[in-house]
Amino acid sequence: MAENEFLEEKTFKQYCAEFIKHSEEIGDGWEWRNSKDCSDGYMSKTHFQTWSRTSATEQLFPQAEDDFELCSDDSEVAGPAAASEVIRYEYHVLYSYSYGVPVLYFRASFLDGRPLTLKEIWDGVHQFYKARLLQEPWSTITQQEHPILGQPFFVLHPCKTNEFMTSLLENSGKDKRNTNYITLWLSIVGPVVGLNIPLSYAKAVSQQDEKTD
Amino acid sequence: MAEPERPPLALPGAPAAGEGAADLGPETNALEPAPTAAVSPGTEEPIGDAKKKIDVLLKAVGDTPIMKTKKWAVERTRTIQGLIDFIKKFLKLVASEQLFIYVNQSFAPSPDQEVGTLYECFGSDGKLVLHYCKSQAWG
Repeated sequence: MAENEFLEEKTFKQYCAEFIKHSEEIGDGWEWRNSKDCSDGYMSKTHFQTWSRTSATEQLFPQAEDDFELCSDDSEVAGPAAASEVIRYEYHVLYSYSYGVPVLYFRASFLDGRPLTLKEIWDGVHQFYKARLLQEPWSTITQQEHPILGQPFFVLHPCKTNEFMTSLLENSGKDKRNTNYITLWLSIVGPVVGLNIPLSYAKAVSQQDEKTD
Repeated sequence: MAEPERPPLALPGAPAAGEGAADLGPETNALEPAPTAAVSPGTEEPIGDAKKKIDVLLKAVGDTPIMKTKKWAVERTRTIQGLIDFIKKFLKLVASEQLFIYVNQSFAPSPDQEVGTLYECFGSDGKLVLHYCKSQAWG
């Protein structure tokens, strides 16, 4: 087994800064937030999605992919006019001192503040990832108090992160400098809980290489 | 993301790898690829198809089984999901095993990403290199 790819906090912050820089370029909404005493910080993204509730199923399902539309787009909904709900998603990337890895915290709520259950969040996840969510040892989700905000969030448990990131990174070999740990990690774990990472983040990494070559 | 599920489609140039291998015995944890006799690797594709298909080189990561045939000609519109389904079938992975594909050693594309787009962004030397990793490798 290759040497563990523990992530130092300083490196974590550097990768996050690169990630946020690209996010700003494409308007993806990520930002850095500091704790009150500025000793800690984390990456944060909030986005809104419109979901429809059909009378037939009483289940919520997401509408069109457009994150910025708050109005329901009826052309996307088949069948009778459905009541729409706007869901607010929050994703935070924090550094775990005990595990030496990044950790994904997330929560979702209706506009009136009512939180979504984990099941309701999963209902919005692409089928491709649902199977993964159910079967992956690294995708254990727990509910914990956010270390900085002190509010309850769902957390993708970090105990396996180091193992699978090491497995992926050991293959990078001499090209390790090309890899933004946060980008790679988030592109794998994010979609499992409804967070999509646009492909241009990967291009951003490539472009940085070209500049340094 | 609320994409409709697409059924897995066989890649051009590949046999129905799942069926072809069926007579190799009971389904195992997929350490042996299908016999290569019926496989038509990328390099044998007629030149006329060159524009529609791109060359993909698949590299295994960690303890993931290595495919005997690594180079494939893949239609540009083939999605990552389709490619994952194909590799899983080819390697005879059991349903509970998940497979990840990542590009440029730095990013896992979404399942509906088309291989042609990835080639435009990350292809070099006339091919797209993709790494794949089986989740069980992480125990």
